[in-house]
Amino acid sequence: MSTEDRAAQLIFGPNVLANSAINSTKFLSACFAGAAAGILGLENWAGFFLFLIATLLSAGIIYSVNCKGRPNRYFQGGFIELVNPGQDNAFTFVLMWTLLYGIVHVYD
Amino acid sequence: MASNAVSLYLDPQIRDWVLFPITLVMILVGILRHYVVILLQSQPKKLQRGAIREQRALARSNILRATSAYSPIPPPFYTSISTHLSEAFTAGTYLKDGPPKGDGPTSPPNPLSDPGAMDGMMAGMKTQMVMMVPQMVIMGWINFFFQGFVLIKLPFPLTLGFKSMLQRGIETPDMDVRWVSSLSWYFLNFFGLNGLYRLLLGDGNDASSQTMNASPFGGANASANPNPVQDFNKLFKAEKDHLEFSEATYIWVGKDVEDRVLRKYGKLAPLQ
Repeated sequence: MSTEDRAAQLIFGPNVLANSAINSTKFLSACFAGAAAGILGLENWAGFFLFLIATLLSAGIIYSVNCKGRPNRYFQGGFIELVNPGQDNAFTFVLMWTLLYGIVHVYD
Repeated sequence: MASNAVSLYLDPQIRDWVLFPITLVMILVGILRHYVVILLQSQPKKLQRGAIREQRALARSNILRATSAYSPIPPPFYTSISTHLSEAFTAGTYLKDGPPKGDGPTSPPNPLSDPGAMDGMMAGMKTQMVMMVPQMVIMGWINFFFQGFVLIKLPFPLTLGFKSMLQRGIETPDMDVRWVSSLSWYFLNFFGLNGLYRLLLGDGNDASSQTMNASPFGGANASANPNPVQDFNKLFKAEKDHLEFSEATYIWVGKDVEDRVLRKYGKLAPLQ
């Protein structure tokens, strides 16, 4: 039996399910980052840069406070799974960014 | 470009009557799609006790074998379960129709004529239709009612190639690609609301657009095996061989655990 199988045997299903709450965290952080970028009127690269900063900041907080510096104990993908926002959240960021930018800066 | 310096002034009523309604409609239609798919799904056929017993016996054997190389079950339990299952499979005690009578080989029922497989294929097609139809309807609605005016300015630039798609209906060759029509707002919403659906409806919802990408494969797989029509006698025979093989490779996870613990804490000489 390979070591991946052995590692997989040690994983407890309900805990993995509880930890998948990080998906909502990533979604909300993308939403608020989009709102912030829109309200501030950031354009082009500045906006995407804010998204990057927001992703790293929220991942950093979860890393230090929740995972206590050891993401491999809480997530199967380790650090990458913690940081990666995923395609859905990137589009959510763009949607919120466009929406708030339009409301605040384009309309009277 | 001159249009960069000059900013277009847009009527706030466009925001109230186009921007918010399109988003709201798309959210609601997504949620509606999800619940429609749930309501349209036919009930899975209830199996009889004998049939369930067959499947459960096979499942039990699979579970036992899956962890046999590093098994959490101590040897007496493992060997007793394994022996019991092997004997049951050989004698056919778990078979739905009782032990085989010894007559000629039975043929499994034809999957095409079995109504169960038909239900599976229909379910896949129904889901696809429910996905496609609202998208077409909303696109048509937007093109009919909200055509011919600039809706919003994108905060990021795009290449000129997008101009024809995003500014459809606005015939200005010089305007910046960032001023877009309502159809592009539809596309933004289409991609951007997946995250919201996952928050509202939970993972694996039927409203997100990722199911549209997966549907050719998912639909085919779902229709291929909803009701496996299998000859359990043959399966049991094969499973018995697998059980023997696994018993040969079985190692208890707690084997020699005393030596391992002592070695870990340095009370015993380490292995060379």
